[in-house]
Amino acid sequence: MALSRDFFRALEDIVGKRNVSEDPAVTENYRCITAQSSAHYGPVNTRTPKPLAVVLPGSTEEVQQVVRLCNKYKVEFKAATTFWAAMGFIGSDNAIQIDLIRMQGIEIDEKNMIAVVDPFAIGGTVQVEAMKRGLNCNVAGVGCSSSTLAGTAGWVGFGPSSIFMGIASENLLGAEWVLPDGEILRTGTLGAEGEWFCGEGPGPSTRGMLRGWMGTAGTMGVCTRIAIRLHPWPGPKWIPVRGTAPLYMADGLDNVRAYTVCLPDWEAYAKLFQLFYEADICYLAHRQFNMFGRDIKTAMVEIFTHPELQFRDIPRLVEDPYLKEQNAQMKVDVQIVMAGFSDRDLDYKEKAFDAILAKVGAHKSEYYLQQDIEDFVKLYLLRLARKNYNYTLCSSYEGNFGLHPNVWKAAPFMEEAAALKLKWEQEHTGIAAVGGDSDMGSVSGIGGGGTTGWEFFVHFDAFDQESIKNADAHIEDTQRWMFEKGLGVDFGRWNADCRKNSGYSYTQDEHDAMYSKLPQPGIATYQYKIREAFNPNRLGGSYYKTMTPPECK
Amino acid sequence: MATKDSLVTIFGKANVLDDPAVLAAYAKSHSFDPGFKPWYVVKPKDSEQVEKLVKWANKTKTPLVPVSSTGVKLRGDSVPSVPEAVVVDMSGMNKVLNVNRQQRMAVVEPGVTYDQLNKELAKQKMTIPGSLKAKAGQSVLTDVVEAVPRLNPMIQWNFFDPLRCAEITWGDGQRMFTGEAAGGPRDLEKQWNNQTWQVLYMGPWMTDYFRFVTQAQGTMGIATWVSLKTAVKPLVHQLFVAEADDLAALESFVYKAMWTRFPDEIFILNRAQAANVMGKTVEEIEMLKEVLPPWIVAVGVAGREIVPEVRFEARSKDLIDIAQANGLDLKEGISNLSGRALYEEVSGTDKGKTYWKDVYAGSHQNVFFLTQLDKTGMFLKAVREIAEDLGYPTEDIGVYIQPKHLGSSYHMEFTFPYDPDSAKQEGRVQDLVDAVSVAVSDLGGYFSRPYGKWAGIQLNKDAQSASALKKLREIFDPADIMNPGKLPI
Repeated sequence: MALSRDFFRALEDIVGKRNVSEDPAVTENYRCITAQSSAHYGPVNTRTPKPLAVVLPGSTEEVQQVVRLCNKYKVEFKAATTFWAAMGFIGSDNAIQIDLIRMQGIEIDEKNMIAVVDPFAIGGTVQVEAMKRGLNCNVAGVGCSSSTLAGTAGWVGFGPSSIFMGIASENLLGAEWVLPDGEILRTGTLGAEGEWFCGEGPGPSTRGMLRGWMGTAGTMGVCTRIAIRLHPWPGPKWIPVRGTAPLYMADGLDNVRAYTVCLPDWEAYAKLFQLFYEADICYLAHRQFNMFGRDIKTAMVEIFTHPELQFRDIPRLVEDPYLKEQNAQMKVDVQIVMAGFSDRDLDYKEKAFDAILAKVGAHKSEYYLQQDIEDFVKLYLLRLARKNYNYTLCSSYEGNFGLHPNVWKAAPFMEEAAALKLKWEQEHTGIAAVGGDSDMGSVSGIGGGGTTGWEFFVHFDAFDQESIKNADAHIEDTQRWMFEKGLGVDFGRWNADCRKNSGYSYTQDEHDAMYSKLPQPGIATYQYKIREAFNPNRLGGSYYKTMTPPECK
Repeated sequence: MATKDSLVTIFGKANVLDDPAVLAAYAKSHSFDPGFKPWYVVKPKDSEQVEKLVKWANKTKTPLVPVSSTGVKLRGDSVPSVPEAVVVDMSGMNKVLNVNRQQRMAVVEPGVTYDQLNKELAKQKMTIPGSLKAKAGQSVLTDVVEAVPRLNPMIQWNFFDPLRCAEITWGDGQRMFTGEAAGGPRDLEKQWNNQTWQVLYMGPWMTDYFRFVTQAQGTMGIATWVSLKTAVKPLVHQLFVAEADDLAALESFVYKAMWTRFPDEIFILNRAQAANVMGKTVEEIEMLKEVLPPWIVAVGVAGREIVPEVRFEARSKDLIDIAQANGLDLKEGISNLSGRALYEEVSGTDKGKTYWKDVYAGSHQNVFFLTQLDKTGMFLKAVREIAEDLGYPTEDIGVYIQPKHLGSSYHMEFTFPYDPDSAKQEGRVQDLVDAVSVAVSDLGGYFSRPYGKWAGIQLNKDAQSASALKKLREIFDPADIMNPGKLPI
């Protein structure tokens, strides 16, 4: 499909010639593997459609004009910035890609603990600026190299810090939002008072349309600026590091403690989470390094903390008796970071932590008490800068299982899930054999505790067709098992209803058929009505889930 | 079928009220805004009846006005703004449907009050942090849905905490759950059997449906249950207080205390409001106004089931040190006011025959809005100047400042007591409230809960928000039957 010359010239007029391109050398780069889960280069061997053009607006006004132009010419659009996953990419041949990379501003109101961020303010930069002022921000599991705005307004946004700092939704204050029809909605105090501190109301919160459990993945206009709630950081103004690049460790964070908890079983794991929620002691809490797998996690941490070690050393390290013993002790484990806001506070947290461990029959991992490893963990979890580690084992991974947000519901199934994965590892060569259990995730997905993030990492080779097929088949099997156990949609199929395997959007008829059996259809039919009211030309694609209400057929 | 017959068919004869005296009581409130006597009052027993009612109202274009609390009506939002409305009195739906200690969750119907809920929660050593001295008949559901500020902002990661999921019959007659509860069957028992406890309030997909019913004054639909995040009951607790001669002297301490997250409760009262809270009679209030300091900051510290004494001691000492570093003396009590007694009053419900803000002069008016702490002094100055200009005694103005949402915003509330039997006083307070409302708005005060005239003031400042809200209303209440006249757009 060719782009109208008038449309293209109008884009040039809006953003300037250097900020719009239809050169295939550029547009080809705005295609993505059509991962089905939210965040990973999943085992689907096709790419999203090529955009008609790529446009880089530099201001809200330019975004608004681009969106209005798209409405005039009925061209779909999708805005993204750090392009973590397929949701940031278009799903139609009649679409342009908006890249917000030119919008990078950060403003911090230190006293009131608020940051106002542009789309290309990434988590790491926001965090660095915040820490200079004794503050910190929730860095979602996607990692600190991703856009804070996208994670906050556009998708889910929980991570290790969410127990103390909340999920992204909870931190979203005012938002400046170019609606799909080109109007600009400024939520809460921003619209009326020009202040960013509250995103709710007046009256019923229109913010409810901007995001729910997840954001609208760029299907309902473009968020151009948001305010986020910052949180206290009792550490230094920057994190001193030591070590050899890229194997850095935090240095001298004396009032920050990192531990790995070894638990006797999954019931104790669930009880531990509950007590963490109630005792209010965690600054960060995540089951992290088990993502490499139950049998090799210490080998990987050894490699990450010793620059002389290579991946070729894994087989030797896996057989190392000490590391084997440590892996065995950490069969059921979780990482926790506590931050002391005073000496007394740290003392309280340490005592509470010890009391909790005693209650659940757990102990601190001696392996993780080694200074270098503790400091590695501190930096890793505080910054979440090492997303590349996720890919190191096999070049790619996908998340699956995703069990259930209630830790008490899911914990009894963990060993069965691990056994299912182990069976696949043993019977097929397509996914990495890491010991079955490769579960990881947040101790709490929301502020103060209450829900849990679950995800098994399936490591596979994205350059090997057999491996891709095996990983996909494995996820198909885990989805079957999940339904069988009443655990819901597998994480690896989270977005299966958002775009086809071909990379293209679903049609309305296809969505209608998918959602016809929903136990409470209102969640889809009201979204249909919201889309019709605010996005009448339907220019966003099928990540926005809708079902035609009977009265609209 | 005649209207009454239709209603009787749904609710039974005993639950359809049309006695003029009864109807008149539903039209009375503290608000100066004009209200209408309802046509009928109905008393639902369950969600099915509510759904039937809303569907019937859509067919007959009958305005519905939900009300859940009992006792004095403070804001006028539950008084019909149009004639021939049916008041839906939800106070009879008053069951605590579930309490879950493991998840610290409770599920309550609209008529459940704080005292009732806390009694149930206490059986499992739990509690629910409340709002400032709520009236005895206050519906917990209404309190949280209308985002009344809580004493404990440190457990408000979400602006609307402790509100989690809800069952709502929207204005179009469709009933659904919100949040994670919407992802499963529309049957709480089945969800509980599947260990889903209505914890996750978002979505369930990309729309936060629960947000559309918040601060809505019943204009979007009728909530028939909500799930609430509760807390483990403290084993040791103390409300500490510090005094100051002016509001500005408290600012740096409050900011620092909020940064540490050490407080459980934290709020500011001025002398008049503290006297209103503590005094049971006019004489007691007068006496307290003589002896209390101009400003009080109150900070609660608790210890719960895990090393309670250690937590309590660490946080108490740290907060005392922080106060000292900021020029304040934080103590268990100041002269004539013990922290413990203050806590009893603010955290409990109002036990008096007369609503506590009405004890001093017979009635009162409130003006409240959201702002940030460093701007509260500006509003205080403006309000005092207006009061002086209108001859209202500034020493009678009560002030309550409550951090919300981990301190992202601050609820600032001015209370103006007056004698309702004095036309002069009433007229003056009416002028005062009007002038203060405009001045507050001009200075950037945000009426997030825009009752009465505030709706016009606030929504007229932001045409795009009003337009978006209008579109939403047309989706969820297409026949405009839900409390019409409120939030006019």
